[in-house]
Amino acid sequence: MPTLNLTAKSNNKLLIHKHMKPIISLDNSIDIILTPQFYTFIREELDVKFSYQAKQIATSLFDDYLENNHEYQYHVYKCDNFWCFFAYNIKVIELFLESVGIEKHRVSKIYFAQQLIDKLENPILLDDNSVLQSIDNVVTLVPLQIIDTNVEYNSLDINSFKLKGGVTMGSSLNSYVSLKETILLSSIFCILGGISIFEGNRIKRSIANDNAKLTELLDENPRYTSSLARESILTKYAPIDKKERAKRQAIKDISKFLSNKSQLKTLSIDKNSIQAKITTENRSISKQIKEHSRNKKFKFSGASLDVKVEKKL
Amino acid sequence: MNIMTLQRYKNEIILFLTALFAISAYYYKFSANNYVDENKAFIQKQISEIVEIESYKKQWKSKGIANKVKLFKTIVPASKIKLFSKKSSKVTVSYINLTTNELNKITNKLLSMPVQIIKLQIKESSKNKFTMEFTCKW
Repeated sequence: MPTLNLTAKSNNKLLIHKHMKPIISLDNSIDIILTPQFYTFIREELDVKFSYQAKQIATSLFDDYLENNHEYQYHVYKCDNFWCFFAYNIKVIELFLESVGIEKHRVSKIYFAQQLIDKLENPILLDDNSVLQSIDNVVTLVPLQIIDTNVEYNSLDINSFKLKGGVTMGSSLNSYVSLKETILLSSIFCILGGISIFEGNRIKRSIANDNAKLTELLDENPRYTSSLARESILTKYAPIDKKERAKRQAIKDISKFLSNKSQLKTLSIDKNSIQAKITTENRSISKQIKEHSRNKKFKFSGASLDVKVEKKL
Repeated sequence: MNIMTLQRYKNEIILFLTALFAISAYYYKFSANNYVDENKAFIQKQISEIVEIESYKKQWKSKGIANKVKLFKTIVPASKIKLFSKKSSKVTVSYINLTTNELNKITNKLLSMPVQIIKLQIKESSKNKFTMEFTCKW
């Protein structure tokens, strides 16, 4: 029965030193532990709280120890009451790794031999010429010649313990795009994507109310679903509405033509027209009625005191 | 493509995926915009048509009209009603000897009632006396 492993699987570790034997082939990714040949180490007591603050002063800290014509990367972590600073040149490390047959993309994390300080109280034999030993709490590469011949060497299985706080072998350095650019561009893309989705939802919601209203109306009147049915009903009622409103408006207009000096004689409405005969007391009133009729788009006739007004419906 | 290659091009893959997300999201917004552009006018037209139909029906096919037209039977003294005939959804009324006020009163009621005026005839029968006849349907 397979067991469930909830912990991250750690890679095999490899101690990197200048006289190491070339690696024939690597199938999996590995973590490397750099010997002091590949880094410069400083331990300082500083009044800073966070590692990013310590890292900010790393460049100036190494000013006197490093060559100016190289570009260095820095790593820093808290070690007891001190800050442990490492300066390394990733290009040099990469070139060396390639020279011993390690493709740089196979390297997952970089650790520093200084991190093995607890395990190096007794020296370990690195190759035929040098040993790795802790001297004054600093992991140091010591020539074999100066080591006491009676000294007892440790055997160190570097895969048997876990190291913390390694440097990611810059996926950024292996990639065409740097980590900083990746974070910046990805953030921009994510923000743009988020805004677009938010806008899209807002646009869709703008029609949701109309959609809900239409659904409600159609639920109440399922036969209006067909546009033909709707058009047919509208065709039936729209002319009625128009004609009836016209009739009522025409009657109101005619009533406004009347005064105490004029009298309605007849008024009739049939299918297509409205007609009225008005008799007046004098010509000026009849003229006034004709004028009003013209304004209200009535046809009018009558030469004497009687005026006939008519309008097509 | 093995896991190492994926790890090697992690940044490019992240960028590709986030760019793909941004493009997809933009396409979603674009589609939403198109959908709304195409459908909003159509949906609103349907709503306005249905509302218009409802309003017409309420106006010209109101169920209470049959009762309301009975008012024309009582609006003036019975002696002045020559004819009151209500059949199905149609009413024909004929009045005689209406005063100007009565004529105005009936006319105002008729105009405010949601019925189709099929025929209306007003005549002055004598000085300030009128006959009125109308046929309405609903």
